[in-house]
Amino acid sequence: MNGQQIQSKIISMEIDVLKAVRQRTLDQLTEGPFVKEARLFFLLLPFFNGEQWSDKMESSARTVAIVYAALHSHDRVREEMPISKEQQLTVLAGDFYSGIYYQLLAESKNIEMVQKLATAIIQVSEKKASFHESALQQPEQVEETATVIETALLNAFYEENGFTHYKQLMEQSLLYIRYTEELEALKNGEFSHILRLFSETLIQSAFIESWLTDRLESLGNDIVVSINDCELDFELKNVLLHQIIPHRLSAEPLTREG
Amino acid sequence: MEKMKLKLLYSDLKPELELIEKELEQAVDSESLLLNDASLHLLQAGGKRIRPVFVLLAGKFGEYDIELLKRVAVPLELIHMASLVHDDVIDDSEIRRGRPTVKSEWNNSVAMYTGDFILARALERITEIESPRIHDILSKTLIEVCRGEIIQIEHKYRLDQSLRDYLRRIKRKTALLISSSCELGALVSGTDEKTAAHLRRFGYFIGMSFQIIDDILDFTASDQELGKPAGSDFIQGNITLPILYARQNPEIYQMLRDNLNLDISDEKRLEIVRTIRTSSAVDEAKRMSERYLEKALKELDYLPKGSATKTMRKIAFFIGKRKF
Repeated sequence: MNGQQIQSKIISMEIDVLKAVRQRTLDQLTEGPFVKEARLFFLLLPFFNGEQWSDKMESSARTVAIVYAALHSHDRVREEMPISKEQQLTVLAGDFYSGIYYQLLAESKNIEMVQKLATAIIQVSEKKASFHESALQQPEQVEETATVIETALLNAFYEENGFTHYKQLMEQSLLYIRYTEELEALKNGEFSHILRLFSETLIQSAFIESWLTDRLESLGNDIVVSINDCELDFELKNVLLHQIIPHRLSAEPLTREG
Repeated sequence: MEKMKLKLLYSDLKPELELIEKELEQAVDSESLLLNDASLHLLQAGGKRIRPVFVLLAGKFGEYDIELLKRVAVPLELIHMASLVHDDVIDDSEIRRGRPTVKSEWNNSVAMYTGDFILARALERITEIESPRIHDILSKTLIEVCRGEIIQIEHKYRLDQSLRDYLRRIKRKTALLISSSCELGALVSGTDEKTAAHLRRFGYFIGMSFQIIDDILDFTASDQELGKPAGSDFIQGNITLPILYARQNPEIYQMLRDNLNLDISDEKRLEIVRTIRTSSAVDEAKRMSERYLEKALKELDYLPKGSATKTMRKIAFFIGKRKF
């Protein structure tokens, strides 16, 4: 599968998600469903790598993307007062997408996946709640928080379909992308929940920058090893390194994901 | 007091409801202290637990098995709770059931995570039941409830909306989940299709009546009785049945129009509440509620006589007469 085919499949998945959650008012007045390209890439990675891929898996992957969109929608709810109409609908968009995820899996009688995704949503919500708790977290705990938020839903999908051999590569890569974004935010003087957690434990922003830089270096090395373990073909490896994963692993300018 | 009266009506179910209450507490147990606190904060504020009650009562028409019924009753109450936490963000509500809302005690983000967490717990629990039909009904209900809420936002501040718009909205917002509570309770207990259909319709009509009464109480009960400011619906732009009837009077229509979507004073709010309360709108809305109640009671005539039918009838009468 070449780069263009991979990109086209990702876009097709985005369109499928859009179609599945179509609702006139939400379409007009909210941002609409959004799923990071890298998450879609890893959702479809087994398919790209030539694993046996059934309609049930395709539909299950779509629901995982819908849940990502639901949680993303709720992440966009701000603290503004009074709440705007767009924000009110953003709350409801997340709830609506969650309802669609349940309905799609109920229709295909995949109740086990409903359960697995529900458990993953619980884990993600618990980790996100830690952004608002005062308990001090060690860098390793912050990393676990970021990992769960990025990957719990994908792991549910991999476990359900016997694709756990991609777990390590997916976790390292999504964490790598997240840290790259955090580092970028730090350099731009922006605030994020993850940076705040780091700042509480690493005290100075200079330490955070060097910690993130070191960690990116080591994750980069791990990713190369994991890619070889997963036996990805050349094209796929190329797309992953040059389009999905930003920063130093790539020699070229990168996509919007970076 | 009113809540106590209601609870007396289903005192036969006390042990089962105590079990449900414990299960609800267990269901919101979390490794996150914050989510645990926020969920318990909501749970302990109480509530009528009308959905679990209807699940249990509907279960009496088949093979009554509390272990099976609780697997439906607990998720349904959790789904209701999750929607309340998110509703408070949508409505910017500070107070619910006389206590600060999750969004006001913490913030919007925590309320969002809490709602997601509780809904996921509900889905995790309901998947203990394998029947595709149960999931088909519940998932469709969830989506319709959301559609109702989206429409409610669309219709906000629209004083010229129709009665039909209002009825369709409350059907989705309230009646469907109560209707599904009755139907799902019946189905997991293995009742026949006909009985399940009567119970579903009973739940639907009761739900409609219940919401209309709720909308009336927003004008007739005091701030203290409501646990929030009277007239909140109007302030938030929700055009309810009493408002739809009251607007037929040109003077009231003008007053409503002049104050809609404005940051009005407390004095003005109370004046509007008083005007609606003393108009014929409240009685007209009550008559509409009674019509739904009569339809609900008629459905009970098709069901076998027994303690469950009797309790359902009592609850129906109570709903028609409740003061807050």
